[in-house]
Amino acid sequence: MMLSVTNLTLSAGEQAGAKAGAKAVAVLRDITLSVARGRVLGLVGESGAGKSMVGRLIAGHTPRGFAVTRGQVMFDGRDLLQLAAAERRKLLGRRIAFIPQEPLSSLNPVMTIGQTFDEHLMLLGVASGERAAAIVNHLAAVHLPRPEAMVRRYPHELSGGQCQRVLIAMAFASDPALLIADEPTTALDVVSQTHILALLKEQQRLHQTAVLLITHDLRLAAHVCDEIAVLYAGEQVERGAAREVLGQPCHPYTRALQAANPDVHGSQRQLPALAGQMPGISALSAIAGCRFFARCPQALAACGSEPQLLREVTTGHWVRCAPGCATNPAPVAGDDLQSAAWSAPVGDWNSPPLVELQEVTLSYTARWGAFGQRKLVSHAVNKLSLRIQPGEFVGIVGESGSGKSSIARLIVGAEAPTAGRINIAGRERIPGDATVARLSRECVQMIFQDPHSALNPRRSVYRLLTQAYELDHTAGSLARKTRPERGAELLADVGLPADALSRYPAQLSGGQKQRVNIGRALCVMPRLLVADEIVSGLDVSVQAQILNLLLELGRRANVALLLISHDLSVVRYLCSRVMVMQAGSIVEEGKTEEVFARPQHPYTQLLLRSVPPADPSIAWPPAPGQKP
Amino acid sequence: MFQLSLAIIVRRLAAAIPTLVLLSLVVFVVLRLLPVDPLAALLPPSATAEDARALRAQLGFDQPIPMQFLIWLWEAVRGNLGNSINFHQPVTSLIGAAMPATIELALVALAIALAISVPGGALAFVLHQRARETAADLTVTLLQSIPSFLWALLLIIVFGVLWPVLPFSGRVGQEVVLPGITGFALIDLLITGRLRDWSSALSHLLLPALSLALSFSPMVIRVLRSGLIDAAGEPYVEVARLRGLSETRILWRHMLKNAVLPTITMIGVQFGFLFSGALLVEMIFGFPGVGNLMVQAVKGNDMPLIQGIALLFCVLMLAINTVVDVLYALLNPRLRAP
Repeated sequence: MMLSVTNLTLSAGEQAGAKAGAKAVAVLRDITLSVARGRVLGLVGESGAGKSMVGRLIAGHTPRGFAVTRGQVMFDGRDLLQLAAAERRKLLGRRIAFIPQEPLSSLNPVMTIGQTFDEHLMLLGVASGERAAAIVNHLAAVHLPRPEAMVRRYPHELSGGQCQRVLIAMAFASDPALLIADEPTTALDVVSQTHILALLKEQQRLHQTAVLLITHDLRLAAHVCDEIAVLYAGEQVERGAAREVLGQPCHPYTRALQAANPDVHGSQRQLPALAGQMPGISALSAIAGCRFFARCPQALAACGSEPQLLREVTTGHWVRCAPGCATNPAPVAGDDLQSAAWSAPVGDWNSPPLVELQEVTLSYTARWGAFGQRKLVSHAVNKLSLRIQPGEFVGIVGESGSGKSSIARLIVGAEAPTAGRINIAGRERIPGDATVARLSRECVQMIFQDPHSALNPRRSVYRLLTQAYELDHTAGSLARKTRPERGAELLADVGLPADALSRYPAQLSGGQKQRVNIGRALCVMPRLLVADEIVSGLDVSVQAQILNLLLELGRRANVALLLISHDLSVVRYLCSRVMVMQAGSIVEEGKTEEVFARPQHPYTQLLLRSVPPADPSIAWPPAPGQKP
Repeated sequence: MFQLSLAIIVRRLAAAIPTLVLLSLVVFVVLRLLPVDPLAALLPPSATAEDARALRAQLGFDQPIPMQFLIWLWEAVRGNLGNSINFHQPVTSLIGAAMPATIELALVALAIALAISVPGGALAFVLHQRARETAADLTVTLLQSIPSFLWALLLIIVFGVLWPVLPFSGRVGQEVVLPGITGFALIDLLITGRLRDWSSALSHLLLPALSLALSFSPMVIRVLRSGLIDAAGEPYVEVARLRGLSETRILWRHMLKNAVLPTITMIGVQFGFLFSGALLVEMIFGFPGVGNLMVQAVKGNDMPLIQGIALLFCVLMLAINTVVDVLYALLNPRLRAP
């Protein structure tokens, strides 16, 4: 085994700074995993499960206030935890390489690719005369176009995918024995995600590297990895061969995780969402038994009082669950809803359109040179027409830079079109026309992308939800109810507990914040919600809750939704109609089911190929070699 | 690279012209509003009203104020800032003689300040990392609250009186005569090969420059430290660590290159601080620079000279901003043209 981690337990509150008598909390409990040469192990879990912490421990970066209280981390016959810091550092970058999560910010912005790479090779001991040629070779190996020119460029001149290629080239430059990739494609577009994963696999096979792939995406892991370990709240709940864990998940959490993931093909079903959320570090000490107990749909009384042990259900397939449950896969939570009649809101096609864009262009002009004499006009949106019917759920998909967020900004009026017309509820929006501007504010509301930064931390949930009353409380829909009435109503609408009104954003979880964010947009009773990537920052189980909430709101309040997303499966789950955007234009449009089942445009086909299939037996990602 | 610098300089200069006209108008109006009669100093006590009128006409003071401004502006454009009332010399030649001394003082002060604050900022950052910040913080705050003139007095007491190793009066020793090629003593003496005199000039510069630098450094240390703290949170630092780079290398080769960017902006903005500090310090050390000239001009109600110095101050600030912009663009690749 190249890397084997045995009974690793990381505790908080062991070091100085903890109050005397405070109980140590096992942030990671009893983690056991191993990777052999040439094999890929996937470490899967939602944010906060502790998966990145495992990677940091291997690097020897124990965060302040934490300490390893039990276990070993054996690398190539040596226990990394016993090594002196200097000894361990000698392994990093040479025998153990890392690929980070955010490629764009992982390269020093004031150094060229060549300078950074040169420094790396210098540390590896490559002679100075040979380094320049070596860099070009390494960059060519990861299929970067024109590697000779690449060395002179700065990170900001590259795309995220190109930066990740550079980092992969650097990681493999030392021919490492172990590679740890922490969410290497999470920050990338779907298409470049596929390319990067294919490249990683290719290099891994070529160098016969042992890889630890840390990811939140169970399906992706099942395709890329040989083995998978699922983490929940610092505990390993399931481990086994990748296909088996995805095909026959045994732990109720793995099953729920798998079921909460919408599909891009196959029959539609309502997503079963796990109630609640994963316990945070501060909540762990209060849990005596199984850490999944509170959310487990199959929990037995005994599960709450004592921790479960990892048991081998079939050869090589380990599950931490009570004997009865795991061997006998009962239906997953919410499976009874699977048969319930279900469809994305189609909307009212007999009424005039709610929003109509006619030949809309949005362009930006960049000027430079001493007198601004050189200019570059770029079209974010190019002569684009679209309509949204009342009550309809429409999706826009495309890569970043395709102009999909510009459409959201145009529709809510944050941006005025360079050319073309925008009609809101039958009236054209002309810049400077206050009446139409007010009308469209009441008609169209935006749900912001990042709930953490979209909510003013100094406002209570009540003041956030009913913020619109401060702007213009005499407006039509607001005048009908008093502010406290509307606040209580909105709270119930978005499914938050009654005591949440007086809380502040810092006291809410990510999912709850997104609920407040949605409730705030609903305050003026808009007819259209514009949602730009609103679930991309959420974990799968929380994402399912939010998606179901949106569907419910659509049905109950007859509100239309424009969902902008890079995630095709989310769009398929929510939207009856889809538009595929590329370079500022809509290249394909139609009923979601038809477009996804029989994509006509090559770009739509490419996007669909980039989604990891639900069936683990289908080979994915497609072989590399395509240009990035 | 060169093209970019040129583009910035051209753009800056184009923007500087209206700024200069506006600033000179402000200077002009403010000085005219002062209840001071510039003629009083020029006329002998026995002068008659007729004499006063004649002098008034001769100096252009009988013209309406807007006209006076236009005349002054036109002359200024042609390089004539008028004659000093007290010194009976052209303002330009007075400033021309004093200016290099002040610039020299400010630049040497800046160099010393950088030599103190780059390691100081790094040290403050390291202490912050190790959670031993309070002591460092206190020291910096203490240093920051000592003004430059107090440093000047302290330094004179220590290095001039108690342990007399450095001179604290004038620009060079009394026996030295400056050649006056560029006006910068350190340069002139070096190119003429007069090394003994050169070291005399340097030793005369040390104490005033040090007192300016000591009051300037705490600000630089603070900005550099917070720049380093920002950089420490960036993913590229973590990635460098995971590549096995030493902490020292990460700090000096990676973080500092980024942290220096906000520091440069701050130094540009605060460079005026050095100049106003120089005013007092020059007085204390009897240093023949613009600061001393300014004090004499104000004492003697010497309008043309005050105007000239105020205008010079504006030009200097604009020039410094241009230099900072060029430096910033050269050090920050993200600012270069697409």
